[in-house]
Amino acid sequence: MYSVQITRSNPTCIILLLDQSGSMADPFGGDKETRKADYVADVVNHTLHDLVIRCTKTEEVRNYYYVSVIGYGRKVTPAFGGPLLNRRLTPISEAAEYPLRIETRYKRVSDGMGGSLEMPVRFPLWILPQADGGTPMCQAFEQVREILEQWLAEHPGGFPPTVLHLTDGESSDGDPEEIGREIMSLQTEDGPVLLFNCHISSQRSSKIEYPISGKSLPDGFARTLFQISSPLPENFLAAAAQLGVRAEPGSRGFVFNADPSSVVQFYEIGTSLTGMKPYMWMDAQ
Amino acid sequence: MNSQSWHIEARHFLLPKSGYTLNECEDAIGINTSALRYAVADGATEAFDSQTWAHQLAHSWVTHEPPALALEDFRSWAADEGQRLHSSWSGLRLSWYAQEKALGGSFAAFVGLQFEMLNGSPPRWQAIALGDSCLVRCRDEEIREALPLADYESFNAAPLLLPSLGSMQEAALSHTAVRSGMVEQGDVFLLLSDAAAAWFLLMSLKRDPARSEFETLLASAREEELGRFFDEQRLSGRIKDDDIAIIRIAFELNAHPET
Repeated sequence: MYSVQITRSNPTCIILLLDQSGSMADPFGGDKETRKADYVADVVNHTLHDLVIRCTKTEEVRNYYYVSVIGYGRKVTPAFGGPLLNRRLTPISEAAEYPLRIETRYKRVSDGMGGSLEMPVRFPLWILPQADGGTPMCQAFEQVREILEQWLAEHPGGFPPTVLHLTDGESSDGDPEEIGREIMSLQTEDGPVLLFNCHISSQRSSKIEYPISGKSLPDGFARTLFQISSPLPENFLAAAAQLGVRAEPGSRGFVFNADPSSVVQFYEIGTSLTGMKPYMWMDAQ
Repeated sequence: MNSQSWHIEARHFLLPKSGYTLNECEDAIGINTSALRYAVADGATEAFDSQTWAHQLAHSWVTHEPPALALEDFRSWAADEGQRLHSSWSGLRLSWYAQEKALGGSFAAFVGLQFEMLNGSPPRWQAIALGDSCLVRCRDEEIREALPLADYESFNAAPLLLPSLGSMQEAALSHTAVRSGMVEQGDVFLLLSDAAAAWFLLMSLKRDPARSEFETLLASAREEELGRFFDEQRLSGRIKDDDIAIIRIAFELNAHPET
């Protein structure tokens, strides 16, 4: 399982599912200026940038991946803007061609003399921060399932799709466990769909990363997310180890009360995939 | 009285990944018959312009004088080649993502092998390798030498490779393997890119008959049959579906009656 090579003729699908409810406007990471929605949008844009760069072959972007970003809050909708507006799934080459805009940001690097200097770096944006409405998690999972069912019918032999779900609170439209389990039961010939969940909080509570059991989790909501999180396959465990994250065979793709660095690592591990070397961008944060 | 001479026979084989054309192959072969110099380079798929980097390394190494066999010479040669590659990009109008990718440079695995014919003694071989393209020396169906990797389990998705960026080369070059020895009667030298090297080491360990079939097809230059052979190995999951580059150099000692 999880060993099929990802190629242009046998691509895989990555879905980034984002909570964009009103509470995502709350501050995050001990910085009153940074809202959860702003931070998460930055990480998602970094992740898309990383995927584009990984697939770039000189002047061509090869479609090893098809990507989807679905936001849920006031409504459940694809989160891409610009020419990709309303696109539920897009080949990575089109994502490369159509970012909303490319900003210049600054990265602090060593000046080689014991100090540091700021270097301009390109920062393409595909999605903008949103924080509005409730948390219709079940509806969002329904939309994910529709995308997956169509994908799996067309790509039965591919590397199983990955769904990276980030939320800051409980579902407002019912218990997501049933639909989550349904998503986890979908599969290709190479294994079941991977559903990983990351929960973030404005509270300074201790985080729980990639647990093996749900026993240490504080409440029913956390245990539900644990239940609908796939075990990390071996190659994802290797990516976690490379980042210095503790995960072992049996660890679920689940983080509870994630802090900012855990969010970055969640996306890094979740998009590491088989045979593809993680592209390190964490130092650009 | 008999005099003796060494007969050298070289064969090579290149096969792209399934569904790809030879033009898209990121493995490269360099052969300089007159200098008895051979090289295989394997461009890293995830890097920028790695096909050019692999071709440049393989072709330049076999023609470079003096040969870049000692680590110091290899270091200086690699630095020049990296600069040449990056200069070739300077006039290009690149998209934002290509510019970003180019900042990281190219990467390739490399293995080079040189023979020196000596008067009155067997030829001497010298090899230099970095990454997961390998030299395997065999005789009587036994592996006598393998470098830089000798165990099929050592092959992984993130090998150490030769970067084109000068600032990254020093750290990588510290892992370069350099070795030499004397050729013996019946020696067969194989230069193999990673998928073929891992497969060959495993088949040898298992004493699998596929190894003999491979060697027969390669030695007799039956390229189409060898292509079909590897297609079958790929379909059965015995070899990773990756580009394949192989050079085989076989030595035989011929005795001639003296007049």
